[in-house]
Amino acid sequence: MKTIFFRIFLVLTAIVVGIAIFMLISYAGDKSKGPFEDFLTSINLGIASMENDLVAREDRRSKDLEWFDRYRNSPAVLNTADTIFYGIYDDRSSTSFENIVRVEDSLDMHLPIISFYTAWGSKKEQQFPAIKAQAIYQLGSMPMITWEPWLDDFDPAEFPQIAQKMNNNEEGLQLISNGVFDPYIVKWALAAKKFRHPLFLRFGHEMNDPYRYPWGPHNNAPEDYIAAWKHVVTKFREVGASNVVWMWSPHIAYENAREYYPGHEYVDWIGLTTLNYGTVAPWSKWWTFDEVFEKGYNEFSQYDKPIMISEFGSLEVGGDRAQWYADALSSLPEQYPAVKALIYFHAAGDNTTTYKVLDWSFVDDEEVVEAIKSSIQK
Amino acid sequence: MRDQVSKEFKYSYWKYREASKVNKRKMLGLSMLIVAGFISVLFFAEWWFREEHINSLPLYLVLTFIFWWGIFRMVILWVSYIKITKPAPVPASEDLRVAIFTTSSPGEPLSMFEKTLEACAKITYPHTTYLLDDTRDPRFRETAEKHGAVWLELVGFPGAKAGKINAALQRTTEDFILVLDPDHIPFPNFLDEVLGFFKDKKVGYVQVAQAYYNQYRSFTARGAAEQTYGFYGPTQMALEGINCAVAIGANCTFRRKALESIGGHGIGLAEDMVTAIRIHSRGWRSVYNPVVVSRGLVPEDLGSFCKQQLKWARGVHEVLFAELPKLWKHLSGWQRLSYFTIGTYYSSGFTMFLFLIIPYLFLWFGWLPANMEFSSFVINWTPLAIFGLAIYLYVQNWLCHREEERGLHWRGMVLKFACWPVFLMGFVLAIFNRDIPYIPTAKQAVKGFTPFVRPLFLFAFLFLGTIIYILISRKFYTAEAGLFLTSGEIWGMVAFATIAFIMTIMGIYAAWESRNLSAEEPWKYIEVNKIDISGKHHKTKERKEVTSV
Repeated sequence: MKTIFFRIFLVLTAIVVGIAIFMLISYAGDKSKGPFEDFLTSINLGIASMENDLVAREDRRSKDLEWFDRYRNSPAVLNTADTIFYGIYDDRSSTSFENIVRVEDSLDMHLPIISFYTAWGSKKEQQFPAIKAQAIYQLGSMPMITWEPWLDDFDPAEFPQIAQKMNNNEEGLQLISNGVFDPYIVKWALAAKKFRHPLFLRFGHEMNDPYRYPWGPHNNAPEDYIAAWKHVVTKFREVGASNVVWMWSPHIAYENAREYYPGHEYVDWIGLTTLNYGTVAPWSKWWTFDEVFEKGYNEFSQYDKPIMISEFGSLEVGGDRAQWYADALSSLPEQYPAVKALIYFHAAGDNTTTYKVLDWSFVDDEEVVEAIKSSIQK
Repeated sequence: MRDQVSKEFKYSYWKYREASKVNKRKMLGLSMLIVAGFISVLFFAEWWFREEHINSLPLYLVLTFIFWWGIFRMVILWVSYIKITKPAPVPASEDLRVAIFTTSSPGEPLSMFEKTLEACAKITYPHTTYLLDDTRDPRFRETAEKHGAVWLELVGFPGAKAGKINAALQRTTEDFILVLDPDHIPFPNFLDEVLGFFKDKKVGYVQVAQAYYNQYRSFTARGAAEQTYGFYGPTQMALEGINCAVAIGANCTFRRKALESIGGHGIGLAEDMVTAIRIHSRGWRSVYNPVVVSRGLVPEDLGSFCKQQLKWARGVHEVLFAELPKLWKHLSGWQRLSYFTIGTYYSSGFTMFLFLIIPYLFLWFGWLPANMEFSSFVINWTPLAIFGLAIYLYVQNWLCHREEERGLHWRGMVLKFACWPVFLMGFVLAIFNRDIPYIPTAKQAVKGFTPFVRPLFLFAFLFLGTIIYILISRKFYTAEAGLFLTSGEIWGMVAFATIAFIMTIMGIYAAWESRNLSAEEPWKYIEVNKIDISGKHHKTKERKEVTSV
C-alpha cells in the first residue's frame, strides 16, 4: 500500500513540476514576445533601408516628389499648406504599392499622401506599422494612418482588466480614457515617434455614425469620445511624439458631428468623408459632390483647421461617374478653399458597407481618369 | 581538430565503461521534463493547426508533415525513455559452450586481424574463436592459428557475413555465439558481461554497446560516432525496457536455438535487424547491456560513411516493407512501434528534401506554404525546442562513456544533414525494390572526392545561383514600389536557406577533409595487454542497487 502511495506521489510530482516548468518557460516566452517582435521589426527596417540605399535607382519616385519634402518634414509647414495635396488609399497594397504607381501613371502625377487602415489589438500587425510607414516615406510620400479602436482583439493575459468583460466595445471609449489600454497606446506612440517624420493619424473616424463602427454612438456617448480622444493625444504628447498630425474625421451625413469635436488644441486637421454610393443600395441615391460635401464643409471650415477629404470617390451605378469627379475636383479651390488635401478612395474590394463587394477603383475607367486629369489645376 | 595525443594508445578509450544506473530520483527528473515536453507539443500544436495559417493547402500539408513527422518520432522516443532500464548483472554460469565468430573478406587488412584475434584470445571466459575466412590468403590462416583460433574456409556463400555465419553454424556445436565484427577489439571481460543473461531461457540474444576508437581521425569519424552515442546509451536502454533491443550484428551474442528457430542468421543489407525482428517474432526476449566491452572503427571518410548509410537505409526499408508486415501479428505493440520507428529513420532524407526546397519555392515562384508570422512561430516553437534539448541532454546521463560522449553532437547533425540525398536514395530504391550492390564499409580511409558529395555541390550551386538571381532581380527588376515592403520576407527566406547552405558547406568540408586523410592503421596503436577492466571490480558493490523503474 505504502509503495502505491509513493508511486502516485511520484507521478503527481512529475506532472505538477512538469506543468510548472512549462508555465515558467511559456511565461518567459509571453514576456519576451513584444521585445522579440520589436527586435525583428528593427532588423527588418534596417535591412530594408540598407537594401533601399544600395539599390538607389536613378528614376526614384521620391525625386519627383522633392517639392513635397518641406511639407512632409515639418508639421508646422504642413498644417499651413498653400496648395492641395492629393493622396490615395488602395486596398491592394499589402506587399507593394505598384497598384498606386499604376494609378499615378494613368493620372500622370505623383500622389504625396498614401493612406491605409490599421486596427487596435495585441497582434503584431496591430502594432505601429513601422515598415509600411517607412516604405511610404522612402517613396517620397507621407503616410496617413486611420487608427481604428476595435477593442475585442486584445490578449486578456496582457490586459487583465478586460478579461471579465464580454464585449469590450460596449462603452469601450471609457476603457480607453480610464487608461486600460495605456501600455498599448504608449508603445504605439513611442514607435510612431521613432518614425521621426510627420504622419497623419486619423483616430476613431466616423465616430458619429450609429450603424458602422463599435466606437460609434450606439456604444458610447459623445463626451466619452472626446475624453478618449484627449486621453490618446495626451499620451502621445507625453512621450514626445510630436510628429503625429491629428486628424479628427466625422461622418458629415449625420448632423450630430460637432458634438464629437474634441477642441482646437487637440486637433490639427479635419477629415471629411465624401463618398457617393450611387444606387447600389436601397438606402442610397446618386448624390452630387456638392450635395454630399457642401453642408459639412460650411460647418467645419469655420473651425479654422485645414480640411482633408479623407475618403473621396464615387461608384459607377446610377449616374455619370466621370462628371462627378470632374465637378468635384474643378470646384475645390474656389468653392472650398479650406480643403488642403484629398484622398482618392481607390478600393477595388470594399466589403465594409453592403453585402456585396463594392469597387471604387477608377484606374481602368478611362473616362474618369481623363476627367480627373483635366479637372485638376496643376 | 586532430589531437596528437590520440596517435598513441588512448587509455581512456581502453577502459571498461558502463552507463550509469537508473534510479527513482533520475527518473523523476526525466518524467518532469517529459511532462513539460508533452505540454510544449500540445502548445505548439494548438498554434500550428489553425486555419488562418493555411496559405496553399497542399504546401501546408507538406510542411505539416515535415514538422509533425519529426515531432511524432521525438514523442515516441520520449515515451520509451520512461522505460529506460539497465539490466541487473547476472554472473555467468560456468561450463557454457561459447563460440566467437569473426569474418574476414578479401581486401581487409591482415594487421587488423592480428589485433582482433589477439584480443579474442585474451577473453577470459572459456570459448573457441572461429575465423570465417574467404580471402584465400594463407596468411589469414596462419594468423588465426597463431592466436589459437579455429580457421574455417567458407568461400562462395551468399550475403555479406550472414552466409558465412550460417555455414559456420552447421560446422560448430557451441550453444552461444558471439558475432564480432573484425574491426572490434573485445575486452577480456566481454563474455562475462553477457553470458549471465542467458540463464533466462527466454533470452534469445544479448547486445552490448558499440564504441569506437578512431573518432580522432576526422570530422566524419567524430560525426559518425556522435550519431551513435545516444543510440547505444539511453535509446537502446529504453528499447531494453520495452523488450525491443535491436541486435547490431557486431557485438551481439546469440543463443544457437534462437538462431535455429528462425532458420539461421538473416541475410540482406540490414542482416542484423532482420535477425532481431525474426527472433523477437518467435517470442524470444532480448537483453541490452549498456557496457563498453569492445571498441571498433567508425567510417573515417565521407564516402565510406555514405556507403554504409546507403546500405543501411536500403536494408532498413527492406525490414519495414518486407519483414514487418509479415511478422506484424507475432510482435508486441511496442515492438511494432519500435521497428516501425527504426524502419522509418531514413525517411528523414525525404522530409529534409522537402524542407530544403521550401525557401526556393518562395524565392523562385513566390509560393508560401503557410501564413505564419515568424515571431509567433519562434515564440510557440521555443518551449518545444527547449524541452526537446533538455531531454536530449538529460538522458545523456545514461551514455556509456559520459565524459567523452556528451554534448550537442553538432558534427553528427551536420553529417546526418549531409546524407539526406543518400537517405532519399535508399528510400527510393526500397520503394522501387531496386538493389544496390553490396558495399563493405571501408576499414581504412579512402582518398579522393566521393561521388556522394555531388548532390551537396549541386545544392550549394543552387543556393549561390539563387542569391545571384535575387540580387539581380532586386537591383534591377523589382518595382521600387514593392522593394521596401518585400525586403523582410525575401531576405528572411534567404537567411533560412543560408542555414542549410552552411550545413552543406560543412558536409563538403567533411568530404574535402576525407580526401586528405592519411592512410593509417589506427589499430596499430592498440596495446591489447593494457586494456583496463578494473572499473568492473569497483562497481561490484553498487551493482546490487541497480533497479529498473
